[in-house]
Amino acid sequence: MRILLAEDDPDLSRQLKASLSDAGYVVDHAPDGEEAHFLGDTEPYDCIILDLGLPKIDGVSVLERWRREGKTTPVLILTARGAWSDKVSGFDAGADDYLTKPFHTEELLARLRALVRRAAGHAQPMLVCGGVRLDPRAARASVNGEPLRLTSLEYRLLHYLMMHQNRVISRTELVEHLYDQDFDRDSNTIEVFMGRLRKKIGNERIETVRGLGYRLKPLHDEVSDL
Amino acid sequence: MTDGTGATDSPKAVSRKTGGAVLLRLFRRLTRKDSLVGRLIRLASVWFIFSLVITGIALTAYFHQAALQRFQLNVKQIADNLYADTDIDHSGKVVTPPFFDTRTNRVYSGLYWQVSEIDAKGAISDAARSRSLWNEHIPIPATTLGEAKARIGEGVFYDSIGPEGEPLRVAAVYSKIDGRAFVFLAAEDRAPMDKDVRRFALITAAALIVLALGSLVAIFIQVRVGLRPLFDLTDEIAHIQGGTQQRLLKSYPAEITPVATQLNAFLDYSQEVVERQRMHVGNLAHALKTPLAVLMASAGSQDGELPEIMRKQAETMRAQVDHHLRRARAAARSQALGERTPVEPVLDELAVMLEQVFQDKGVIIDWRTPDDLAFRGEKQDLQEIAGNLLENASIWCRKKVRITAEFNPVDQSMSLAIEDDGPGLDEARFDEVLKRGARLDESVPGSGLGLSIVDELVRAYGGTLTFGKSQIGGLKVLAKLPANLDGAAA
Repeated sequence: MRILLAEDDPDLSRQLKASLSDAGYVVDHAPDGEEAHFLGDTEPYDCIILDLGLPKIDGVSVLERWRREGKTTPVLILTARGAWSDKVSGFDAGADDYLTKPFHTEELLARLRALVRRAAGHAQPMLVCGGVRLDPRAARASVNGEPLRLTSLEYRLLHYLMMHQNRVISRTELVEHLYDQDFDRDSNTIEVFMGRLRKKIGNERIETVRGLGYRLKPLHDEVSDL
Repeated sequence: MTDGTGATDSPKAVSRKTGGAVLLRLFRRLTRKDSLVGRLIRLASVWFIFSLVITGIALTAYFHQAALQRFQLNVKQIADNLYADTDIDHSGKVVTPPFFDTRTNRVYSGLYWQVSEIDAKGAISDAARSRSLWNEHIPIPATTLGEAKARIGEGVFYDSIGPEGEPLRVAAVYSKIDGRAFVFLAAEDRAPMDKDVRRFALITAAALIVLALGSLVAIFIQVRVGLRPLFDLTDEIAHIQGGTQQRLLKSYPAEITPVATQLNAFLDYSQEVVERQRMHVGNLAHALKTPLAVLMASAGSQDGELPEIMRKQAETMRAQVDHHLRRARAAARSQALGERTPVEPVLDELAVMLEQVFQDKGVIIDWRTPDDLAFRGEKQDLQEIAGNLLENASIWCRKKVRITAEFNPVDQSMSLAIEDDGPGLDEARFDEVLKRGARLDESVPGSGLGLSIVDELVRAYGGTLTFGKSQIGGLKVLAKLPANLDGAAA
């Protein structure tokens, strides 16, 4: 397992590198944002530990660049700023997990294991519907290249619609496929989530077929692209 | 009026809503030394009432004078006729002209004339008198006689008392005929004229009082309307304090513009100070936390007594840093004014993020909020409150977390309910958790649940934090926070 550690503090880097090596990872170290970006861009890492307070280019910008360039490597961000606003902006930039400094090394190792395991899911084909793309392996979706931030129910809804695109799906069918046995099976809920999903991917991509259900379809000018 | 003078009134006066009490309150309010309205009205009333009194007196005096002049014209004419047409016949007898005014013939009619002769020794004897006088005599004071002598043929006026005790106005003309000295007198009862003058004075006074009252009302309205920008300013400042707006928005007249501009500059400055303070605090956090992480990491990798002490102390330091940073942040926040944060995007972001963090567990966060609900406070604080509560719920739940925001129009607040389907908390421990929050100053930094952060924040916003059992099985945390509904949907 290859890991990139982007951290500017030399003492902390040394400590972490030692602990990570002991845990069986191969560790590359980047002391600033520029080098971190270059390494992350060129080397096939299984996971990246990214400090947000890096010199030259800050962590959030590095992360945003990777995600814009289509890198899906799981990223765990380290931040001294424990406020939720900082965590949220890290996630908006495309982080997969966060750890607030100072932290216990064991905690870091546990989070890392989870991230690597998660990323090593079965390869599944990318789902595409016009400008909407959904990567089931990384559980990521995007519209026209812009990453989408979806809650798990919204993601499930989009996933199901993408798998059955251009077909009318009834509300009952959606309820049955989206919820566990014990969830509120209130069909009004579907409308709430459908509303939010439309807000995020664009209203006109999901068509309401009166009395029958919903249909996901590419936009008119996107059909020719396929 | 927007000042708080009502509070100084006795409760009795307030509860009795009679007109008298209202007037009394208004009066007290206007006579307060520190009321600008009262001051302006007092000043205006003083000179206005003063000038009205002067006007009243002048008008009455003028009317009196004019009436008297007209009145005197009549008696003077009679006296002049008397003087002009009286003759002495060859026997030395005084012959008076005939008068057509019948009043001079009716006894005690109120119109009299008299011709008195003054002999060489100065003794006065009546040579002739109108029939109306009958046997009475109009006296001539010595001083008046002197004056009349000094102005021969011109006549003087004086007051006297008539045969029936009526007040008389008398015209006296002194003249000599054939070497004999005479005083020609004409007198008329002046009571009707005096009555007219009194009536005029009364009517004038009444009219002026009505004018004064009306003008006082007009002055009051004028002052209130004129000072409205000041009251607007007070209202706006109250709104800023209440957090519903950030700056002064209305345009003000030239006289207050400098105040408004300065106030806005001051508000901007305070905003900037808050931002700067927060930035410093953040920098301090970053500066301290990385060394702490180093300490913890190096101590953690070794066994022994010293690393153990280091680990424990580093842990304590971290908790202390967190605690004091939060306090500094809270202090910075209490100065920030008028922020408003739409709730929906915050909940969406947090739900997306925490579901990803707890992906292995398969946590599903179901969030519900009205589209236009807005938290009356800073985004960072709502993120902190909801983030911590959601993180707790995600840790303790089996799979389901529910966060529901509802608007309560009665007290302009929102109820933020965070529920999970986990094991929940014993009711006995609710108090324990809350108590820990209640003793803020002594509270041990970093309670295991992160609830003390939330409790501090919620309290800072004047809200409440309560615990209960959730319908989906686990703990339900209910945070009540200030809110309104017109937040622009982001």
